[in-house]
Amino acid sequence: METVTVAIADMDPGRRTRLEQSLQGGEGITVLTDIMAPGGGARIDGDFQDYENGSMEEVVAKIAQLKPRILFINLDQSIIGDFALLDALHRECPETLVVLLTDRSAQDEQIIQALAYGARGCLSHEADPCYFLKAVHVIDRGEIWVTRKMLSKIMDKVLH
Amino acid sequence: MILLASSSQDNLSRWEQGIRGLAPIFCSTNLDSVRGELVRIKPIILLLDLDLPKLDGPNGILGLMKLNPETRVIILSGTLSDEIEWSLFRTGVRGCCRGDIEPEQLQNVVQAVQQGELWIRRTLSWHLLNELVMITQEKNKIKQAVGELLANLTRREYEIATLVGNGESNKQIARRLDITERTVKAHLTEVFRKLDVADRLKLALIVKGSMPPHGSTSVGH
Repeated sequence: METVTVAIADMDPGRRTRLEQSLQGGEGITVLTDIMAPGGGARIDGDFQDYENGSMEEVVAKIAQLKPRILFINLDQSIIGDFALLDALHRECPETLVVLLTDRSAQDEQIIQALAYGARGCLSHEADPCYFLKAVHVIDRGEIWVTRKMLSKIMDKVLH
Repeated sequence: MILLASSSQDNLSRWEQGIRGLAPIFCSTNLDSVRGELVRIKPIILLLDLDLPKLDGPNGILGLMKLNPETRVIILSGTLSDEIEWSLFRTGVRGCCRGDIEPEQLQNVVQAVQQGELWIRRTLSWHLLNELVMITQEKNKIKQAVGELLANLTRREYEIATLVGNGESNKQIARRLDITERTVKAHLTEVFRKLDVADRLKLALIVKGSMPPHGSTSVGH
C-alpha cells in the first residue's frame, strides 16, 4: 500500500498533537509533524491572520515544499480573508487535498463555502479517531468526506 | 405517505417489505397512476422504477416532480453509468439505488432521504463537489468583472445603478435622492453607455451579479 502523507495545521497545539498521534498509528499513513514549529516549519498559528505580512504566502510555500497529500486545517483559519488560504492552496498546491476541522460553532454555510473553495471534506475535532483514518484514505482515493445531510445542502446550492 | 411506482409486482412487493412501518404505502404500476397519486396523496417520498414504461428518463422525472415539488424522489434502477446517474441527480432526485436492493438497505435509504439527506454514491459526490467549486469560481469571476465595471461609474451613477438593481423605478429613485426624474434618466443613459447595456433589466442583473457584463468571460450554467 502506498503511503499517504498527512500534515495538520491546527491552532491548538494539544489538539494537533492528539490528532497527529491518532494518525501516526494508521496503516499506510505518514504524518509530517512540526510543520508549524517556529523557524522550522510554516507558522499557521498566532501570526496566521496577518496575511499582509506575508504569512499566508509562507504557509502556502511550506505546503508546496512539503507536498502533503492531505492537509488538515481549522475551518476558522480557512474562512479568514474570504477563504484566501483555501484559494491559494487550491491554486498553488493542487496535489494537496484539504480537510476542514470543525467545532460546534461551525455553520453549515461556512463549511459549504470552504468546500466551494476547494476543501475536500470536513470532520469534527471531536470525531472518533477511526474516522480521521478513514477520511484520509477516502479522500486520498479522490472521494470526499462530508455527511449526507451536507451533500444534500450542496446539491441544493448546485441546483438553485 | 410513500408512493411506490414500478410495473413489476416483484419489485413492488420487495420494496414494500423494506419500508413497511415507515409510513402508509401506495403503489402505482403505470405512469398515469403515478401522476394521479402524486397530486392526490401528495407523498413525502416517491420510489420510482427508472424502467417504468413511458417514463422518458430525466425529462419524465422532471415532469413528475413538477406535479408535487415537495415529494422527494428516489430512483431505483439497474446499474447506471456515472453520467446517467449524475443527470438524474441534476433533475433534483434525492437518491439513487439499485432496484434489487435488499429490503433492509432500502429502509436505510428512505429514512436518510426522509431526514433530508442525499443518497448518492461517493464517486458521484466528487462530481457534486467539483460542480460546486466550478460554480463558485464562475460567480467570483463575474463578481470581479462587475466590480471592475462599476468602478468606472461616478458615485452618483453607482448609487442609481444600485437602486435600479433593487428594482426601484426612476420616480422612486428621484424621490429618494431628491433629484428630478430627468436627472435620473440622464445618469442612467450614462450608466448604460459605460456598462454597454441596453435596458434596466440587464443593468439590474449585472448589479446583482446574476449576469456577466458585456464582453467579460461568459459562463454557462
